[in-house]
Amino acid sequence: MDAIRVENVEFSYDGETDVINGMSFAIPKGSYTTIIGHNGSGKSTIAKLLNGLLEAKSGNIEILGQKLTLENLQSIRDSIGIVFQNPDNQFIGSTVADDIAFGLENHCVPTEQMQQIIEESARKVGMEKYLDAEPANLSGGQKQRVAIAGLLAVSPDIIVFDESTSMLDPQGKASINAQIKELNKMKDKTIVSITHDMDEVAQSEHVIVLQKGKAVLEGTPKEIFANDKLLQEMGLDVPFALKASKAFQKAGMIKEDCLNLADVVEALCPSK
Amino acid sequence: MSIEIKNLEHVYSAGTPFEHKALNGINLSIPEGKVTAVIGQTGSGKSTLVQHLNGLLLPTAGSVDIAGHHIESGSKPKNLKSLRKDVGLVFQFPEYQLFEETIEKDIAFGPKNFGDTPEQAAEKAKNIITKVGLDESYLDRSPFELSGGQKRRVAIAGILVQDPSILVLDEPAAGLDPQGAQEMMSLFMNLNKEQNKTIILVSHDMEHVLKYCDEVVVLENGNVKIQTDVKEFFKHPEWMRDIGINPPGIVQLKEQLTAKGYDIDPDIFDLEELAGQLKGQVA
Repeated sequence: MDAIRVENVEFSYDGETDVINGMSFAIPKGSYTTIIGHNGSGKSTIAKLLNGLLEAKSGNIEILGQKLTLENLQSIRDSIGIVFQNPDNQFIGSTVADDIAFGLENHCVPTEQMQQIIEESARKVGMEKYLDAEPANLSGGQKQRVAIAGLLAVSPDIIVFDESTSMLDPQGKASINAQIKELNKMKDKTIVSITHDMDEVAQSEHVIVLQKGKAVLEGTPKEIFANDKLLQEMGLDVPFALKASKAFQKAGMIKEDCLNLADVVEALCPSK
Repeated sequence: MSIEIKNLEHVYSAGTPFEHKALNGINLSIPEGKVTAVIGQTGSGKSTLVQHLNGLLLPTAGSVDIAGHHIESGSKPKNLKSLRKDVGLVFQFPEYQLFEETIEKDIAFGPKNFGDTPEQAAEKAKNIITKVGLDESYLDRSPFELSGGQKRRVAIAGILVQDPSILVLDEPAAGLDPQGAQEMMSLFMNLNKEQNKTIILVSHDMEHVLKYCDEVVVLENGNVKIQTDVKEFFKHPEWMRDIGINPPGIVQLKEQLTAKGYDIDPDIFDLEELAGQLKGQVA
């Protein structure tokens, strides 16, 4: 079964220009999928359509086999959660613990269980020491981790990260990316990450490329990055390792395309 | 004239239980007409430091000399307005600071505050908008119907319209797609090359630092840990790891290949040159 099916979806903010323009794609259940596309290609808009924050003009969206309609909006939102780019826009609670509790309260989780879930979720993102801290006093990376903990507490089957790491420092970014991978592997969650980080794309299993409100390419990172010229025309980048392997191919030193640095080094030094 | 920072200290919430010393006696000389990167971990004092450059924060101790202005602890700086005209500060996610109903009004807001007539300010807005890669047809539109990258251009136009001689940019490319990021950086590099504007770039993106900057300043716990030219900095991946930063791809690749026994010229930071040098060494 697909976790997410999008069929011929159209959406317009102003009623004139369609920012989502007949978009169709499918995201396999349990996959780690990345969505790429230049600014204005419709990435963030489609994320908001998936859990009904925005309503499509036409077309179908199915979440875990269930069609998204006004009537079942609540149950759809139980199965799909989104972490947005700017954590400052998503805080409600006056302490970290309160903030993580918010989703649980809405799901009528008994207080005894709540405490345990809050602590567990905070521990998973390394924020267990900050449960009594005020969100406003945390750094950007810590805030983003709390936002993720809030989602983990409710534990939806599908988690969408909308450029959630773009404002973090490299360490914060690495720790969130590790968390994403772990969720996917250990918990069998479907992870959808909207990103500009091509090294992250190289680590994912399934890639969807958006352009002008349509899904124009879909496949494994290897298949997608084989279109490196097309991607560059679209204003997108390719992983550094691929650029490096192209440079060494040109010099006649290696034959294959590599998506990570270790493979480039391996190809250059088979005997060493 | 270079920017001279002497024994700069800054204490937040002095005299309260939340007292926190963010800058610990910074001494820096930032060259004129160059692109200088300021890097360091979250909490190292980067934002606190750059906010002293246009008087948004005032020193607890020490002094800053910048573009003919002298700022020191204990006295109110003179001519704050003209300081802020000379030193343009672009915050992280400047698009969140847009507020006017049209793009023209948003860009013209600064010049009007600095004493221009509405007509003069509108004329300046018209001239500057093409510089950030948008055409004049945008002037009558609402800034809120633009994409994130376009909004950021408008916000930056609102700073450039003052024609500052020094531009301080806090993560100007964060959240932009690769092409958008490159266009944004090229815009600043052109301002540096063609108009000799001094640029100070706060960034976590080491690829950008390597590609665009001349000098690197590393802050740690409110102190200057390293100040050096950019090539020298990237010859030392251990310095980067020390402050929790991943070296750029080319530096990692050189490091791993050196470990495998290849002999690589430390001054090479270009893939093609690297391939050329390695070619001769393959058995």
